[in-house]
Amino acid sequence: MTLDIETLVDLYRDMWLIRAFEFGLEREFKKGNVPGMLHTGVGQEATQAALAAHLQASDAFFPDHRCHGINALAQEKHQGDGERIMAELFGRATGVCSGKGGSLHSANPKVGNFGDNAVEGSYMATVLGVALAYQMRGQPNVACCIIGDGTVGRGEFHESLNMAAIWKLPVLYACVNNGYAISMPVGKGHASADIVDLARGYGFPCEIVDGNDIEAAYDAVQRAIAHIRAGNGPYFLEFKTWRWQGLFSGEFRPPEEVKYWKEDRDPLKLAREKILAQGKLTAEDLERIEAEVKAEIEAWIDFAKASPMPDPAKATADVYVGWEVAA
Amino acid sequence: MTQATTRTRTFVQALNEALDIAMARDPNVYMLGEDIGEMGGDFGVTRGLWAKYGDARVRDTPLSEAAIIGTSVGSAMLGMRPVAEIMFADFIGECYDQLVNNAAKMHYMFDGQFKAPIVVRTACGGGFGGGPHHSQSVEGWFLNVPGIVLVAPSTPADAKGLLLASIENDNPIIFLEHKALYRIKGEVPEGYYTTPLRKAAVARAGSDVTVVATMKLVHEALAAAAELEKEGVSVEVIDLRTIRPYDAETVLESVRKTGRAVVANEAPKIGGLAAELSATISEECFHDLKAPVARVAGLDTPIPFSLVLEKYILPGKEQVIAGIRSVMK
Ligand SMILES: Cc1ncc(C[n+]2csc(CCOP(=O)(O)OP(=O)(O)O)c2C)c(N)n1
Ligand SMILES: [Mg+2]
Repeated sequence: MTLDIETLVDLYRDMWLIRAFEFGLEREFKKGNVPGMLHTGVGQEATQAALAAHLQASDAFFPDHRCHGINALAQEKHQGDGERIMAELFGRATGVCSGKGGSLHSANPKVGNFGDNAVEGSYMATVLGVALAYQMRGQPNVACCIIGDGTVGRGEFHESLNMAAIWKLPVLYACVNNGYAISMPVGKGHASADIVDLARGYGFPCEIVDGNDIEAAYDAVQRAIAHIRAGNGPYFLEFKTWRWQGLFSGEFRPPEEVKYWKEDRDPLKLAREKILAQGKLTAEDLERIEAEVKAEIEAWIDFAKASPMPDPAKATADVYVGWEVAA
Repeated sequence: MTQATTRTRTFVQALNEALDIAMARDPNVYMLGEDIGEMGGDFGVTRGLWAKYGDARVRDTPLSEAAIIGTSVGSAMLGMRPVAEIMFADFIGECYDQLVNNAAKMHYMFDGQFKAPIVVRTACGGGFGGGPHHSQSVEGWFLNVPGIVLVAPSTPADAKGLLLASIENDNPIIFLEHKALYRIKGEVPEGYYTTPLRKAAVARAGSDVTVVATMKLVHEALAAAAELEKEGVSVEVIDLRTIRPYDAETVLESVRKTGRAVVANEAPKIGGLAAELSATISEECFHDLKAPVARVAGLDTPIPFSLVLEKYILPGKEQVIAGIRSVMK
């Protein structure tokens, strides 16, 4: 399918925002300005932008460890303050969780962000409850969980798909199959390299999507969400994609594979070609967009760096609702 | 608790009344678990409620403990008030991640933006030949988890009042139901009331020694106290009722008064509730103590099947009496 130029350009901007965010973050991480661990979503921008485009603030999504981008897009789209995701990763008081969550636990229910859980995929179970609450209240919302191919190895995967199926819950499973779980290739870690093969037995629609083709991804998410909102129960999308970030210790994947995905299958390059093919925008127009987005991200980084650290006394707040914990 | 009218009810009936009242009072309350619907649960606690409230609010689930608790937590994030049943506490390992990493930390790690007001009812405790996987006391598995609440009633009246209070509370609560107590009877007030969380009860007043106990061991401690009274020993029995966060104030006040403390808990001694209570009492009341704190607890073994073996490793009245004698010397 071909998207109209306005939508395509908006998505291109969103994808650029994700990439600029991650590259800026990685630079600051290497300088020691960002504590903890860092997993980036570079290479997976089309999948994330497609999800962010269709999920509403009244829906719920559970982001995974590579979802800074979708978190920032949701924050920016619904609240206009994407910089608070950046500030959270810097551990600052202005972050969406006031620095308590960080890269792996950013949340903001007002924009539909129900929070990452760094025990990978725990929310495959949690998403059921959000969906059940929507169902019991008759709300036409979607509860989405974003899970990697490796995460599918957890038993909760099957508990979740089964329960979603028998109760016909409004769950969107967005499986980001980037080929590896740390060092484990998907075909070695699972009985099938196509995760949909593990999902199909539960009897609801399962699709493989080209996760690097923004039009295909956008279209698939739209189709899945329409199905769910209409009360037809869960939907499973497997996005085939590839992450640019290797292991912490360096690149372990074959050079031909790296070259293929970075040069031939770069989702931004592919989107750019689609836009230019429509003949309505020039390369300079797109470069202007890229420069604007990069400048915005630098402003977010400046905001994060200039933000105050949290008050240490807040470390004992909110352990219990309504009960204090001794300092 | 101000209700004038009470009736004799079993522990199970008292729990059932609490669930019925909570369901009727708040449409956000719903229940889920294995065989809790038409069948009424393995121990009959939810009996009759499916017929009254229907499939949507009394939900039978497959054998999927992680999904049961995950569903509970997710719905609670949107303001529902789930009451989940985990048939036997021994199975709680299946949903440990959901409880420890999700429910217990959600309010904290997301800076107060979410709450997880779930109640997880579960049948615990031994003494009936249930063997290694149907008899354990699991409170120790959660004692080291900030954010979790552990509630453990010992009487039918408290079972009802504490369950109603738990359902209304905004924290994730593991509600321990000792299987040996399900059939005991007691006076239970009619209608709605709550029993405060984090408040221990003085089950019996005394002046020579304090016994701090939970669940079944409260009854063992009361029996021990009655027996020792004949020897002129006056035993105060504190029923902790909430195990985490617990009411240290009531415990310490009693120990300061009596100068002697026995802590009694059915779980293995090492690293459990008895250890925690003993440490806190020793730390806070060292100069008031006339003898070291005595721990009465299970032996450091899994729970064996044969009743003679099980009786050998689980503490009861005799062990409480021995504990009291050791601090009275
Ligand atoms: C339950 C659990 N097991 C292991 C880990 C450690 N871990 C972090 S990321 C990761 C790989 C996840 O792979 P995948 O789901 O494919 O996501 P990707 O990083 O490829 O996007 C692992 C094993 C974890 N965080 N949680
Ligand atoms: Mg992967």
